[in-house]
Amino acid sequence: MTSLTFDPLLLAIMAPLAVALAIALGLPKRWSVRLAYAGFGVPALVALWAWWQYGAAPSDHGYAFLRTYSTGLDGLGIRLTLGLNGIALPLFVLAGLVGLAAGLYALQSAAEKLKIYLMLLLVMVGGLMGVFASVDVFFFYFFHELALIPSFLMVGLWGTRGATENSYAAMKMTIYLTLGAMLSLVGLIALYVQSGAAGAHSFNLITLREIIAARPLAETVQHHLFALLLFGFGILVSLWPLHTWAPLGYGAAPSSAAMLHAGVLKKFGLYGLVQIALPLLPAGIAHWGSLLGALAVFGNVLVVGFITMAQRDLKQVVGYSSVMHMGYAFLGVATASVLGLGGVVLLMVAHGLSVALLFLLTTSIHHRTHTFDLTAMGGLARTAPVLAAFFVAGTFASIGLPGFANFWGELTIFVALWKFSHLFTVLAVAGVVISAVYGLRAAARVFFGPPTEAFAIVAAEHPPTDLRWNERVPALILLAALLFIGFWPRSLSAPLNATLVQLSAPAAVAPAAK
Amino acid sequence: MTMLSHALFVLLLPLGSAAVIALFLRRAGAIASILSVVTATAIAAIAVILALHPERFEASMEWLRLGDFSVRLGVKYDDLAALMLCIVGVVGLCVHVFSLGYMHEDGAKARYFGGLSIFMFSMIGLTLADNLFMMFIFWELVGYSSYALIGHWHERASASDAAKKAFITNRVGDFGFLLGIILCYWANGTVNLTELGAGHVSSRLIPLLLFCGAVGKSAQLPLQVWLPDAMEGPTPVSALIHAATMVAAGIYMLCRINVLMVPDALTVIMWVGTATAVYAAFCAITQRDIKKVLAYSTLSQLGYMVAAFGLGSLAIDHHGHRLVIAAGVGAAMFHLTTHAFFKALLFLGSGSVIHGCHHEQDIFKMGGLRTRMPVTFWTFTIGVAAIIGLPFLAGFFSKDAILYLAYANNKAVFVILALTAILTALYMTRLWRITFFGEPRSESAAHAHEGGPTLTLPLVVLALLAVVGGYRAHYPAGFEGVFSQVPEAEGTDHLVILLTSLFVLAVGAGTALAFYRPAATDALEEKAPALYRWLAAKLWFDEVYGYYIDKVQQRGAMLLNYLEQIFLAGVIIRGLAGLVGLVGLGARALHVGRLNVYVYWFLFGVVALWLFATGVF
Repeated sequence: MTSLTFDPLLLAIMAPLAVALAIALGLPKRWSVRLAYAGFGVPALVALWAWWQYGAAPSDHGYAFLRTYSTGLDGLGIRLTLGLNGIALPLFVLAGLVGLAAGLYALQSAAEKLKIYLMLLLVMVGGLMGVFASVDVFFFYFFHELALIPSFLMVGLWGTRGATENSYAAMKMTIYLTLGAMLSLVGLIALYVQSGAAGAHSFNLITLREIIAARPLAETVQHHLFALLLFGFGILVSLWPLHTWAPLGYGAAPSSAAMLHAGVLKKFGLYGLVQIALPLLPAGIAHWGSLLGALAVFGNVLVVGFITMAQRDLKQVVGYSSVMHMGYAFLGVATASVLGLGGVVLLMVAHGLSVALLFLLTTSIHHRTHTFDLTAMGGLARTAPVLAAFFVAGTFASIGLPGFANFWGELTIFVALWKFSHLFTVLAVAGVVISAVYGLRAAARVFFGPPTEAFAIVAAEHPPTDLRWNERVPALILLAALLFIGFWPRSLSAPLNATLVQLSAPAAVAPAAK
Repeated sequence: MTMLSHALFVLLLPLGSAAVIALFLRRAGAIASILSVVTATAIAAIAVILALHPERFEASMEWLRLGDFSVRLGVKYDDLAALMLCIVGVVGLCVHVFSLGYMHEDGAKARYFGGLSIFMFSMIGLTLADNLFMMFIFWELVGYSSYALIGHWHERASASDAAKKAFITNRVGDFGFLLGIILCYWANGTVNLTELGAGHVSSRLIPLLLFCGAVGKSAQLPLQVWLPDAMEGPTPVSALIHAATMVAAGIYMLCRINVLMVPDALTVIMWVGTATAVYAAFCAITQRDIKKVLAYSTLSQLGYMVAAFGLGSLAIDHHGHRLVIAAGVGAAMFHLTTHAFFKALLFLGSGSVIHGCHHEQDIFKMGGLRTRMPVTFWTFTIGVAAIIGLPFLAGFFSKDAILYLAYANNKAVFVILALTAILTALYMTRLWRITFFGEPRSESAAHAHEGGPTLTLPLVVLALLAVVGGYRAHYPAGFEGVFSQVPEAEGTDHLVILLTSLFVLAVGAGTALAFYRPAATDALEEKAPALYRWLAAKLWFDEVYGYYIDKVQQRGAMLLNYLEQIFLAGVIIRGLAGLVGLVGLGARALHVGRLNVYVYWFLFGVVALWLFATGVF
């Protein structure tokens, strides 16, 4: 089925990888920078184009832009199949936009060894575009690893903390995330073999779905497979109590890597659950849903929510708040309903955009305050009103103010959750108050009131400037996307709903075999 | 243009204004202010055109759909919405014009007027919303606008804290509101106001949860603490948001969901409102800051409205046959209307005083403003007369409607509300006397002067409305759906209410005139210091909440953080590593340094996982 005609999805994956390769082969710095713009820009443009064209594009098994390429490993069932359904499309767009913003922010950052930094970022972007465009489970996993490895290197090499702390953070992240990835890999392979897809020689998700729809797995098998995927993916998404790598890692990660990791890469696990695990293993979620919900609401939302309140370090506030918001996503997964899962996907996109925005601004704040310590700041809005406006907007987005995309994710999850558990709903909605407390407190401590003495000294030495244009552009890209989805949720919810309804149908007519 | 497109236009216009200001006019404060005022003018004009037009309509479109769940973006334009929209438009215009003068010197004018536009957008959306989800969305957005405008002078720590407190306190109320909406959705399958009116499941919990939202937004007990602090915002903001419109949104929302009410829920609402009314009136007596007096007065009047709503319906004799009217809705909305006029007038008047006295807000440092600021004095006097219920002014009619409803439905509430009315007359007369009479008691008061026409014109307009606002017969017919529900005392009842009302006015104002003289100190503080201190403590609400936040919440958070660091990062994770180390010691026997052995171990692990995956154990 190899096609020689132009394929934008392949272009979105290959363009950043090709630029990375060119830089690796010794492109001079001036040209590296110029080409990097293309490397970050092309995936974003393709993503927007795909979003625009999705409704009009012909659909094949629920996928648009579906193409398959032979890899020479057809005997093992491995083919590069690219396509987007309503679940993949929002995340593909997310990856494109955050990739562009992170890239632009890196290009103005004057990082040391900029060429290698850009190269690693480009590999991450290419990998991320591949994760969400892959219809083939093998490549889904392959692209994730491709994007994951540079993130370890970036934390270790360009970390924002001391050298020891950086390497500790990098190591902890590596151990946790590799473990999570291993667990989910075993789960995926087991799924492949158990379902009988191995006999059909196909890692293709569409084929897997057809096989399982025709012959559902036994319930106990589903339980075990789902456990591997749930806890494997769960580690990657910082499910409590397996989350401790996240604030540490993000605290140390350089801004662009944190943007891409917390914003996009982390969503791989949730995406795997929504796209692969839930439709194929309905009995699995029925079995594990209550435990997942309890961990998410007591652990991620309440415990981590309170812990976030106690943080004094701005980057830790953002890092922990990100762990907290993943709790809402897990709650949506636990409901296993079209409404809840739709909420999860909306929240993934919204959270990805807003957390990337906050990490970006956190670094910009650091450039002006020379510290992340919230007790040594204050009054920055006097000299940097635009930075303040962006940060306040990002904060309100992340605490779920209507008008921003995050609101829709949280709202739909809350509504869906009521049918799952009344208690969980009450506790989860209470979390909304918690996030308002720490979000507004952080914004006030950085920007409002009189400056603290410590900051007054720093400000006297380095008078803080407002956000420069090359910092504003990436921030604007993220903010504009948050507002667009916030005001026009249908742009994402319509394709999402179509796919979720279609995927939930076979499970309804073919219950798991006893 | 159809009326629907008028409604959409009036909704989107301020959003456009805010967007243009944010994107292009950040440094051009003068242009931004003009754009914002022109927008407000257009809003007021269209609001009146819509109200005068006989057409009432509903329309909606799908905003988001997932499965069977959908959120719709819709407009429900009935008489209630028409009335609210007119109030928002007219008071909004007055405040915008006043702001031109009041904020003239401000360095961040563009941000201020952009904020006002965002507020108008949110408030109009809230007014027009045809379903509870949409109402919640705009409800949160007015909360955001309020946050942004309270914190306008963010250099002051007090303003920043007040903004934060307002938003978070409102969120506590919204916690209940959102749960109520979710419950309502699952119980009825819809949150559309009209569809709920056609049929719904009777429930006590749902209306009470929804009422939590009103408790936050309309600052009822026990969430009233944010409103006095919100006076940190510029005074025109206090007039528009924290007196006339946004804080009244809670009452408007209750009237919107009136159909969902059941007697038990109404009783709770009635008592919360009554308690707030009398509590805030006591608090107002000891305040020294001109805006704080008005803030507590607003709390008290909002309590009046909530109590009125809670008093519920009334059976009346209508041309010989009995008729049940939604008297609670009628009385609450009537008082909301007149209150919007006279309280906005009083706040803008206080703004004019503050502006004239070079930002002095302590009434004991004022005095003698009667001759120095005549327009402000006379308009403020009309405002005071209206709020204390002087006959033939706006407040007289609406307060009497509430008192009559209380008299008819619940005598205890009637007594408490009458007491509140005495206190209202007392503290308002105190404020008026100390501020405007006697000799100036500070430099700034001695040099006080009237502001320009942008400051005085809105005062005159609002004073006119405070005079005529009580004559329901002269309102356009378009508000008939609301005003026909206002209870009116007849016969002996009428006499009782009239006498009560004159009595409370005479007692309250008389006491204040006899007791308070224009002086540099509070007469009550001198003569009864213990009583004064007790009143000034305001039942220690702020202290209790402060204790909870600092000692319970923050310490709990720190404890959890500590546990997380110690247990998870320290003991469990490193402890596991230690365990692995121990196993490793034991396994050192196997540690033979040959690659093939490691491969075996690796395979062993994979097989173990595999067996788990296939469900063997």
